[in-house]
Parts: sequence; C-alpha cells; structure tokens
Amino acid sequence: MNRLNKILFFAILILAGLSSCKDEPETKKAGDVTIEFDHVWAATESEFVLNKELTHPLLSEKMTFNIFKYYVSNVRLKAKDGSYYTMPESYFIVDADPSGTNKVVIPDVPGGEYTDVELMFGVDSTRCTSGAQTGVLDPAKGMFWSWNSGYIMIKAEGTSPNAASGSFTFHLGGFKGVNKVQSTKSYNFGTTALVVDGDREAEIHMIANPARLWHSADKLAVKNTNTMPNAIAKTMSSTFYDAIRFDHIHN
Amino acid sequence: MISYKIRFLLFFALIWNFSCQDDRDKSDFGLTYPDYFPAPHYQFGKNTLTREGFELGRALFFDPILSVDSTISCASCHSQGHAFADHNTALSSGIFGKTGNRNSPAMFNLAWHPVFMWDGGINHIEVMPLAPITNDVEMGEDMFRVVAKLKKHSNYTKRFNKVFGEKPIESQQIFYALAQYMSMLVSVDSKYDRYRQGKESLTSEEQDGLQIFRNKCAACHIEPLFSDFSLRNNGLEILNDDLGFGRITLEESDRYKFKVPSLRNVVLTYPYMHDGRFRTLDQVLDHYSKGMIHHKNLDPLLMTNGQPGIPLTDTDKVKLKAFLNTLSDFTFISNPLFSE
Repeated sequence: MNRLNKILFFAILILAGLSSCKDEPETKKAGDVTIEFDHVWAATESEFVLNKELTHPLLSEKMTFNIFKYYVSNVRLKAKDGSYYTMPESYFIVDADPSGTNKVVIPDVPGGEYTDVELMFGVDSTRCTSGAQTGVLDPAKGMFWSWNSGYIMIKAEGTSPNAASGSFTFHLGGFKGVNKVQSTKSYNFGTTALVVDGDREAEIHMIANPARLWHSADKLAVKNTNTMPNAIAKTMSSTFYDAIRFDHIHN
Repeated sequence: MISYKIRFLLFFALIWNFSCQDDRDKSDFGLTYPDYFPAPHYQFGKNTLTREGFELGRALFFDPILSVDSTISCASCHSQGHAFADHNTALSSGIFGKTGNRNSPAMFNLAWHPVFMWDGGINHIEVMPLAPITNDVEMGEDMFRVVAKLKKHSNYTKRFNKVFGEKPIESQQIFYALAQYMSMLVSVDSKYDRYRQGKESLTSEEQDGLQIFRNKCAACHIEPLFSDFSLRNNGLEILNDDLGFGRITLEESDRYKFKVPSLRNVVLTYPYMHDGRFRTLDQVLDHYSKGMIHHKNLDPLLMTNGQPGIPLTDTDKVKLKAFLNTLSDFTFISNPLFSE
C-alpha cells in the first residue's frame, strides 16, 4: 500500500512535469506578423521598381510603371493544431511606391507556431456592396469605381513607347459573376513553422511579379488600357495572382 | 416698471419657447412613410440618422465646394421645384460648361431604391454621390481634395465633429451625411396618397385613369413607389452608343436597358427618358402606344399580340394624364426642411 502510494506520488510528479513541459509552447506571447511582398520583374526575378524602364519578357515591350498597387484582404494564419487566427478588419493596399507600403502587418497574433497563411487578393464582395467605407477602403484612395460600384483591385499605370498613346492604364477588378477577380490563396511555410512570441521577429516573405499581368494579355501596342470589370480584368489579375508565391519566413 | 400683463406675456413667451424647443428635441427625427409603403431598402446601418447629420448633408448638397472649380453643387442639377430633377433640361451642365450625357434623375424616396443611376451601376446610396462628384463633365473633383477643402472650413469641421465625433473629416462622413439627406427626401403627400389614405377622392376621370394605369403601366411602375427599379428596354430608338445596363453587365441581353423611373411627380420632372428626348407626357404616351421599335431586348411586357406597343386611345391618354397629375407632391417640392 505504502509502496503503491509512493509509485502514485512519483507518477503524478512525472505527469505534472510532462504536462508543464507541454504547456510551455502555449505560453508564447502575442506578437505582430508581417507579410512582405517583394516585387520582382520577369522570370529572372530582377528588381521591380517604379519609374524605371523595364522590358516585358513575353511582349518585348518597354514599360515604365508609375503606379502599381493592389488590395490584399481577409488574412488568416493557420496554427500547427489546424486552428486559424483570423485578423479582424484585414484590408490592405500593397503599394510598390515607397510612399505606400509593401507590408501587411497583422497585429497581436496569439503566440504559437503557424504553418500556413491564407489571404484574399482583392476585396470581398461584401465590402463592395456595403456603402461608404474607411481606411484603405476609403473611395478617396482612388481605388473604387464611381460609376460601377466596386473596388479597383489592381491598379497598374505607366508609360510605354509601344503604346499608341504613350501610356498604359490598367484598373482591374470586378467582384461578381463570371469575371469576379478576387481570389483566396493559401501558402504553406514548409518544414519550418512561423513562431509568434512577443517581440520575436515573425516575417513572411512573398514574391509578386507584375510582368505576370501580361502572360495571357495583348501587347500594349494592341491594348494599353482597361478600366472596367470584364474578361480582360479577370485574365490579367488571375495570371498575376496565380504567380504570387511564398518565398521564406524570418523567425 | 414692467406691468404685470407684460411680465405675464414674457413669462408665457418663455414657456412657449421652451415647450417648442422641447417638442423639437423629443420629436422623432426619422424616416416616416405611409403604411402602404414597403420597408425601405436602406436601413442606415452604422450611419445613425440625426437632425444634425441630415442638416449637414443638406448643407453639402447645396455647396458647390464639392466641385473642382466651386461652380456646381448637387442642387445645380437637382432642383427641389422639379422634385430634384434638373430645371427641365434634357442634359445637365457641369463644370466649365460641359454637358452630361443623360437626364438628371429626380430624387425622392431614394431609401427604397436598390440601385442608382439610369444604368443601375451604383449599388448603394452612400456611394452614389461619388459618381457626380468625380465625373469629368459633372463636378470633376476627387474625394481626397473634397475632404481637404472641407477640413479648411472651421464651420464644417465643427459640424462634422458634432455629428460624427471629434475626429478628422473623411469621405465616409461626407457620404453618410449626404445619404441622410437623400434618404429623408420622402415624397408621400400627393393627391394619390391622400386618396389612398381616404382623405380625398379622385375625380371620375382620374379614377378611370388609375384603372388604365393599373391595367397597362403598373407592371413596371408598381404602386406605391411607382417603379420596380428594374432595368428594362422600352423600345426607344437608338440614337447614340449609350448601352445603359449593358455597359455595367457587359451582357448583350442587357444592352439599351435603363432603370424604370418612378412616376411620382412625373408632371414636374420633364423632359423624359434617360436622355431627356421627350419634352411632354403626350410624346411619352405616343411612344408607348405607337412609337416603340422592336429591339431584341425590348421588354416582353411592352408587347401586345407579338407587336411592340401598348394600345391607348386618345380618351385613354387624357384619362391617364389626369391620373398622372395626381402624383405631384406639392408639399414635397415646397418643404422648407429640404431647402437651402
């Protein structure tokens, strides 16, 4: 009896010890997660910057961008246990212009380990039909069509000697019907999980390639403007979104 | 020495003032409408309707500051005397003397509209003003600059803060205030309404007109709002490349369809159609009875025995016009609450 008691006592101690070990990861503190979109050009993934003449690899046309920005929304992080942390009110404009930002910051993510990020390229249909919005969804940002309600999900403008007018203007969007462009994508981080623990750095690096807009689109010499929701907007945005990839995490 | 009488009067006046003030504060400031109206489409949501919010919207509606050169206000093309349609011009004038390409629609009972504009392209009352404010031939301004201009006016800052709290003005507040004003433009005091409420009777001619209306027009111009707000082709001759609803959906089958306008106040809102091509109701009735072209998108409701047209005799037309006259709401067009 006495011996059994002793065994039980030690068993309890060991169990307690084990469970406290198990508890340890859950004591990680909440922190910010940053998703950075690095913009590259063409398959060579050379640097993409505004106001610099680039040559499109497929069209062989010269393009100098002065605006390149797009909406990212509805960000979720998948934890190791399969649960999701959904950021409330997550709407962002990713902007290649340094006056804007190419970073999506998710504040106060619960401490823990995360394996995937899910996000929507574009703005969900609910926000396209809910009247006047604020923040990055404020129509004063110039990313909302006045005559055909809905967000301009991708804005790409610049100059090109190949375009008849000398410039190109692409406002791509459309939130409903066959030409809806918004697209939800999920990216797995591979073998290493993203650790969120207070001030510890937690960065997700994504690669986006604006040249991809023209992977199934006409040359600028043929079409240098498209500013409405339609099949062209659908094709151009899909080829761009589909090529956005996860690169690495910083922990 | 002030006499007792005067003192009494002064006291009474004071009480009277207070009671007026009290009544005003206690009176529910809200959207009211007759019981034969359906529930409004716009329910305000986060945009809390208040007297101050409505008055701010009214101030903005009449202020040309919303246009790029401070020459055009909303009221420039939406005049109360014409039930907030333009001053009987087919196409309105915008900044720098530019001309629009469609007829300014009347504005009333907007809280019941699910979509806006002749082509139905705008899906929410709050974002409706964005179109005229930013349109190149209307007000030609951008919202970013509108916000910046309003911030420079201490009076506006004060009023915005009173309605929306102590925070910087942003476009949402402008849209909210305008939506409050626009939603409150309720027109429900026509002779037809008083007839519906049992307060007044129609003449036998008006009564006959109502019957003709119910038989021949009411499928699209559904009572009591006198529109179903759908987009339809009504057999107008195609005079330009305005595709209407087809411009929005890009569907071939939606081309040359336009939003069914309400017939309330119709006598006050001439000229008619999306481009203001008809100056008189006679022209409109002639169009429906014998002037329609058989476009492939022509609404089936406008066909009779396989032919476009709604047969109307001359007597029918006289009676119909008598009825349409009962839809004018003179209380609405003279209501000081809606005026500058």
